[in-house]
Amino acid sequence: MKEPPLSWLRGAVALHISGDRTEGLINAVTEAGIVIWNVKATESGVSLRLLLNDFYALRPLLKQTGCRMHITGRIGLPFVAARLWKRSFFAAGLLLFGIVLVLLCSLVWTVRVEGNNRLASEDVLDAARQEGIYPYQWIWRMDSPDKLSKHLAARLPGVSWVGVERNGTAVKIQIVEAALPEAKPLNSPRHLISRTDAVISDIYAEQGRPVVQRNARVKKGDILISGIIGDEANMQAVVAKGEVKGLVWHEYNIEVPLQKKNTVYTGERKDRSFLVLGNWAVQLWGYGKSPFEESRTLTELDPLTWRDTRLPFGWMTEKEMEVRETEETLTPQAAKQEGLARAEADIATRYGSDSVIKSQKILHEKKENGKVYMKVLFEVEERITEELPIVYNRGE
Amino acid sequence: MTRIGRSLRGWTNGMLDLPQDLLSDMPRITLIGNKEMVIENHKGVLNFSPGQLTLKLAKGSLEIAGEGLVITSILGRELAVEGVIGEIRYKESGENR
Repeated sequence: MKEPPLSWLRGAVALHISGDRTEGLINAVTEAGIVIWNVKATESGVSLRLLLNDFYALRPLLKQTGCRMHITGRIGLPFVAARLWKRSFFAAGLLLFGIVLVLLCSLVWTVRVEGNNRLASEDVLDAARQEGIYPYQWIWRMDSPDKLSKHLAARLPGVSWVGVERNGTAVKIQIVEAALPEAKPLNSPRHLISRTDAVISDIYAEQGRPVVQRNARVKKGDILISGIIGDEANMQAVVAKGEVKGLVWHEYNIEVPLQKKNTVYTGERKDRSFLVLGNWAVQLWGYGKSPFEESRTLTELDPLTWRDTRLPFGWMTEKEMEVRETEETLTPQAAKQEGLARAEADIATRYGSDSVIKSQKILHEKKENGKVYMKVLFEVEERITEELPIVYNRGE
Repeated sequence: MTRIGRSLRGWTNGMLDLPQDLLSDMPRITLIGNKEMVIENHKGVLNFSPGQLTLKLAKGSLEIAGEGLVITSILGRELAVEGVIGEIRYKESGENR
């Protein structure tokens, strides 16, 4: 142990002692139980240090031994305090600075909301304000984060978890939004009616009352699934839902030319490369006239990108490809096949891809002016429902 | 202390194998290289200068010679010295004082 504990807090004095009997003084001091340290002998005497408390007890010992002392240094808090006391404004400023710093540190400066897609940040901040989280709020006046997050979760609708985290003077509100089921489209009560004349082949009512049966013949506009359920006393209109399929006949007049023109790529190609700067393109390669009679040009622009932003310069390539027209003569058989295929595709696009062609009958067929004319009757099983809203006519 | 008492004490020391400094009022000197020295159970400072430190002991005195000697602390009977220690000379009471 070099010096007594907390000597800086208690204050210490550095002394220089001169006289003939400095050793005697050291002995006397030790006898008196005064702690001294850092004793150095110099030419003119001894320098040493002792605690401020013991300083007054030293006097009589000095007199006893006939030594003289000279204070060379004051070390420790009591002296600093005394000096500060003399410059009270400086000390007050120091104290004020500390207090202001502590106060500013105990304010909430920013509130941040994270993880919200559906909810507006303003709504979350409003709810947080009511729970006591807002800028310029004292940190010590806020509840503990777990309580705050619980209250916030109760306040915000459509939220499955809320986390409140305070980092220094910044509060972060982390939100996990609840996954909501998709909203169903709202429907007004309705009937399902027939779109065309048909023979019912299949009926399935999900909601509502089926009116027709299988193999029944319906006319256009007939009710298939009624949206009115119950008897006359207790009636209710509902949204009729279901699937009704029926056999429908479609007559097609088809004409297919026997001559067919096609354009094909020959495989010959000429490339031109450009350097693009803003709206300017400078051609680098591929000068010269086009060697092709007929061609199609494909342009590809490839701008340089940095992350997600497109830079205003890049590379452009033009591919000029030669094409050639060919003429093809179809046999009447092939033309007929093609016409039927076209009609079938038309049925699928018009009446739904789950339509099934039950049978087809060629009613009439002739070849004239380089074309094949056909009249075909298709028997198709397809969906025949159409919606009809139920309207109440009270006036009647 | 009478002569009988003293001899009795010496005898007990020998029998019980007790450390000498506890019973016969002798200094215990700890020396760490030539840098630091702790002397316990001394009886006061006789002379102190940067080159020399003389301590009074129960019997005789201890002379420490060196360079830049500093008493780092004095606590009751314990004294710690730092500096470059060159010589330690033990003087029995008969020779000096």
